[in-house]
Amino acid sequence: MIVINPAHGGTDTGARGENGLTEKEQVLILARMLRSDLERNGFHAIMTRNDDSNPSYEDRSAVANAYRDAIYITLHVASTGKFGTVRAYSYQIATPPGAVEDETVSATRVPAGLVPWERAQQSHLDASKRLADLLQSQFVIKFSGSPQSSSQFAVRDLRSVNAPAVAIEVSSVAVPDPNSLLALGSPLSLAVVRSLQLFRPAAPAVPPPAGGQP
Amino acid sequence: MTRNLKITIAILAVAVIIGLLSLRGLSKRIERLQENPSSEEQARRELLAPKVSTSTDVLSRAKIYWAAGADSTTPTEVELALSADPVKRARQVIDTLVSEAPSPEQRTLPEDTTLLGFYLLPDGTAVADFSDSLSSETPSGILSERLAVDSLVETLKGNLPAAHRLKILIHGQEVDTLAGHVDLTGFFDLNPPAAAPAAAEPVVAPASPALALPKTPASPGGHSSR
Repeated sequence: MIVINPAHGGTDTGARGENGLTEKEQVLILARMLRSDLERNGFHAIMTRNDDSNPSYEDRSAVANAYRDAIYITLHVASTGKFGTVRAYSYQIATPPGAVEDETVSATRVPAGLVPWERAQQSHLDASKRLADLLQSQFVIKFSGSPQSSSQFAVRDLRSVNAPAVAIEVSSVAVPDPNSLLALGSPLSLAVVRSLQLFRPAAPAVPPPAGGQP
Repeated sequence: MTRNLKITIAILAVAVIIGLLSLRGLSKRIERLQENPSSEEQARRELLAPKVSTSTDVLSRAKIYWAAGADSTTPTEVELALSADPVKRARQVIDTLVSEAPSPEQRTLPEDTTLLGFYLLPDGTAVADFSDSLSSETPSGILSERLAVDSLVETLKGNLPAAHRLKILIHGQEVDTLAGHVDLTGFFDLNPPAAAPAAAEPVVAPASPALALPKTPASPGGHSSR
């Protein structure tokens, strides 16, 4: 199940351009285009919002966390960056202070087999990074000027998602003609579809050492 | 011409002359204001965060990280009088990062941003408390917010070897995100304890080491500066 999250919504407009474009509206249109293309290519896809509502981060994560095989894609439109460039991000977690003590505390409070909500993304960092790399390798081909490699950063949307999760950000709302931004929707969807076709959530099997037992 | 009419004309003439003189003064004041634009936030910054200087200041080459395009930051060497006190030193480099950007394109933090407080806890956690402007005036977006955080993290990494990680507060509070995207509930890694780099290279050999932590913390909670 591909969970598409059009970021922001409601009173949270996200980035705003001087032309009146708002991130919340643009990502909703892009998300609808993406869902349509995914379904046409045989994927099951749902959206965390399909109107001008603003679900909480936790509610959005909960949509993905309800599925065992989810892949979470959150869509953003930046207020900066060269127009027409696209970037993929996966989550990065910094070591919390007193990490050892925290682990001890959480181990006593969280029953075995359950994942702490605030650290749900932690066990998917590798898979998320691989998906972000696949996406960026497509973006660099389809969107001239996009970075060669994906980035890891503490993007809030991704923290509580218990599945491979990436953020995609398109530059930018600062464009005179709103239609030129939406024209990026089709190549963006194709790039995402292609990346998902190539993506394998499980890490590639490590070959046994030479001379070892099969 | 009657006497009353002459008096009226004389009064009107005087009023016109006074009006012209005050108009000239007014235009000069407007010109002065235009030369020194100072927002309310800037005035507050000057009041709350006067230029930090200490008796241990040593002229050093500090690396300050400003934007190099949309995606990355790059270090620029700036000659600064840096304190031996790590907290004061952090304030000096952050103030420079905010107020001395070489060009508007290289700016990573909003001009009106004020560092309200800086603390260094005994476990190496640095806490930087910024004014609301950092949150409200940083352009919304992962790209721009990442650039803001990266410039801060890289600048502190190079100039504050004692700090292991950074916590960013807005007006004394933990906030969910910087401007809607970057997670500020966690910590950003600075210098891991085992891999702390050397402090900024002093230009003039100091009488005492350029950076030395006090043997005892200023308070049980660590160093702080408001």
